[in-house]
Amino acid sequence: MSVTDTPLPLAMDVVERSDNRMVLSMGPQHPSTHGVLQVITEIEGETVVNAEPVIGYLHTGIEKSAENLFWTQASTVVERMDYLSPLSNAMAYVLGVEKLLGVTDLVPRRAQQLRILLCELSRIASHCVWLGTGGIDLGAISGFFYCFDLRERILDLNEFSGGARMHPNYLRIGGLRDDIPAGFLDKVDDLIKMYYPRMRELRALLQKNPILQDRMIDVGILNADDAIAWGVTGPSLRAAGVAYDVRKAFPYSGYEQLDFDIPTRTEGDAYARFLVRLDEMDQSMSIIEQIRENLEGGPVMVADTKFAPPPKETIAVSMEALIHHFKYVSESFRVPPGDVYSPVEGPRGETGYYLVSNGDNRPWRVRTRPASLYNLQVLKKIAVGEFIADMVVMIGSLDPVFGEVDR
Amino acid sequence: MPSSQTPPAGATAVDPTAVRPPIDDARIIRTSPEHVRAELVALKADGFAMLLDLGGVDYPERTPRFDVVYHLLRGLATAQPERVRVLCGVDGPEPTLPSVCDLWPSANWAEREVFDLFGVRFAGHPDLKRIQLPDEWVGHPLRKDYPLRGPALERTPRPSFALKSNVAAGTPAFGKTAAALQRQIVAARSGEPPKDGPA
Repeated sequence: MSVTDTPLPLAMDVVERSDNRMVLSMGPQHPSTHGVLQVITEIEGETVVNAEPVIGYLHTGIEKSAENLFWTQASTVVERMDYLSPLSNAMAYVLGVEKLLGVTDLVPRRAQQLRILLCELSRIASHCVWLGTGGIDLGAISGFFYCFDLRERILDLNEFSGGARMHPNYLRIGGLRDDIPAGFLDKVDDLIKMYYPRMRELRALLQKNPILQDRMIDVGILNADDAIAWGVTGPSLRAAGVAYDVRKAFPYSGYEQLDFDIPTRTEGDAYARFLVRLDEMDQSMSIIEQIRENLEGGPVMVADTKFAPPPKETIAVSMEALIHHFKYVSESFRVPPGDVYSPVEGPRGETGYYLVSNGDNRPWRVRTRPASLYNLQVLKKIAVGEFIADMVVMIGSLDPVFGEVDR
Repeated sequence: MPSSQTPPAGATAVDPTAVRPPIDDARIIRTSPEHVRAELVALKADGFAMLLDLGGVDYPERTPRFDVVYHLLRGLATAQPERVRVLCGVDGPEPTLPSVCDLWPSANWAEREVFDLFGVRFAGHPDLKRIQLPDEWVGHPLRKDYPLRGPALERTPRPSFALKSNVAAGTPAFGKTAAALQRQIVAARSGEPPKDGPA
């Protein structure tokens, strides 16, 4: 069976097409669609013959908002796109602006290491939500509490370093807002210590659970060619056997100096995506351990006070510092004209920013390449021929975030 | 507020892509609506199997006005992955480009989004309709001439609020007047109960 080209009606109700064929709307208010997704499905008996995801229920015009903010302010709104992993959005954005400014090489090593540390923490936190809620979709409720316990500890670290649990806006153009507070690394050590036993528990609880295996194995199969043609990236692509990871393919911020693997499987079904994500969490934790071992000292912001606010303690004693601070806050800085595509590997795949500057202090265009949008689009391909009850499994295994799909 | 800083060379460029700094993020190909399809077919045959992204940019002072930006990727799992950016300018009262849905199915939603937010049409798209905004929406919000905010709506008190007794007693719909607030602050600071007065 293949995807038919005939558009489905925007049905909110059940439509009977013939004796055993009907059009059924799932969502947008459905607990297992992980947000506001509507899937219009045409089913024959229990089998899906045609499925059309309908998105846009969470459109907030973030790209338009970002165009009307200063370069320094836009990093706050881009964090709201992929709200489960805000730091990877901020990372892609600030890396892009730094490329346009030409200060990529001036960003201190410590800032780059801490950015990686926080992004990998954020990846684990994001996968914890996927694992917990994905388990609930399949009836495995206990795993949820263990996942969210782990996630809460990471959000506590976010709060400790950046001041906010979910959208800390801690990554700034040119480095980090502040150095990490005293005691932060001890908390990271505590997290590393509790992580592996917790993952062993979770794997025992979920990975080897025969009910979950029955629900996931051979469901929603996506082969490598289709995944590439549909623009799927991230764990869903790697579960289809393509070892593409932006961190390895186009290394940024010093990922090339870290030792980690790209977990890959070849089955391409929901269970393969599940296993790839679990392995990825372990790899992220190994990256965090390496950064923890080799964290360098020094500043966390570029020295040029045109791009960075001067240190707070200098403002009271230096006229220039005060002027720079005033300029930085009241009208930001100008970015040389040009365009750049800046991708990072987010938890859901390649999160890229196509930034255009016309030389002013506001971005001309902030185009996001939303990994979730492309990953979700393939649902209409993989859902065909599956049971309607497995729809929640497939949506869960693609792990879309609707802040990013709809923006 | 416009910036008062000294603009760098070539500031507020009408066509920023023409004066970009040398950043090595992708090979850049600039093309026109007549040749974009042939260019993309050739690139796909050349191994660019993934359409990473398809987006639009509006440059109202430039001709052609819109840019549709394709990012393609090849050699995903190899040691030498390569990215290419195809920029295609498009203009006219109804800007139209050929669709590439048949080459890369991932273009389907991306083209719908460009149509929705910029009003650029894609000829040959199987189902070209709005994707983010409701079907009956008027205008294309990411165009630069589309306002960030609509006209301010008249603020009317909610019906439940109008029924409350303080409204009947003459308090303004939006809470206390500045004078009443001031009296309350003075009273709180002095420790005496507030004097009655007009709200």
